Amino acid sequence: MKAKEGVINILNKILTADLTAINQYFVHAKMCENWGYERLHHKVRDRSIDEMKDADELMGHILYLEGVPNMQRMNAVQVGETVPEQFKLDLKAEQEMLGLLNEGIVHCTKVADFTTRHMLEDMAKDVDEHIDWIETQLELIEQVGLENYLSEQIKKEE
Amino acid sequence: MKAKEGVLEFLQKVVTLELTAVHHYLLHAAMCGNWGYERLKHELHERATEETAHVSKVIDHMLYLEGAPDMQKLGSVHSGDSVQDLFKVGLKFEQEDVTLLREAIAHCAKAGDFTTRHKLEDMVVDSEEHVDWFETQLRTIKQVGLENYLSEQIKK
Repeated sequence: MKAKEGVINILNKILTADLTAINQYFVHAKMCENWGYERLHHKVRDRSIDEMKDADELMGHILYLEGVPNMQRMNAVQVGETVPEQFKLDLKAEQEMLGLLNEGIVHCTKVADFTTRHMLEDMAKDVDEHIDWIETQLELIEQVGLENYLSEQIKKEE
Repeated sequence: MKAKEGVLEFLQKVVTLELTAVHHYLLHAAMCGNWGYERLKHELHERATEETAHVSKVIDHMLYLEGAPDMQKLGSVHSGDSVQDLFKVGLKFEQEDVTLLREAIAHCAKAGDFTTRHKLEDMVVDSEEHVDWFETQLRTIKQVGLENYLSEQIKK
């Protein structure tokens, strides 16, 4: 099916953000593992896998709309050197992603592409949840102190 | 543990190549899915998963060697207009991978880093199997004809 005007362009932008996020989460997860924070390692790795599923869905949808997925482009992968720094950079990435998704949703409404809009809305819901999770972690660090927070990240929950 | 000279540079090259491979196979898998070749889609998806596992292993090892993995660099992702094109691109890619891994293995031997060498040797086994898989597909197409080959790829 042929895409409505501008839709492929927006989907490719979101794909680029997703591909960047996969790598950012991947390396953050690995760093947490290397530091011995098993719990965070698993949380962040799962997020990377979620982003991969989103990228997969976007590619499938772009092809369905007879577009060409751009797998070549990547934004800056922002790597944090401490756990709080990682959270802050991930929060920034998620907020940018939400901005893109919202733009896409508004555009799809305008050109009446409701299937794409629906897909983007599902993705936006996940991003919202993740923003909430990161904000909670940063707030926790404020409240209990970094040492206490980190010591709870050493063991993975059952 | 500190890395021996040149080892981190080789591992970084491997990470970049494997990351490119992940993008490459995800794209090819999605294209095959779009064309209706379910079986190929699953094969190539599987490949993307394997390459992700490789990236994961190499990053772990780089961090262990006190390196900083660069996740930003990406090689060229080639695509194609037909299944055969995708196979040819895939074959070339895997051949480059094998060459790089062999160079890295030789370097590790010279530098006396046998744990890294061992890990790379495990990876080169996979890459050689991938080369073989692509060669087999291209040969099968020659033997049974493209239409027959493709019609076998519709069902998973």
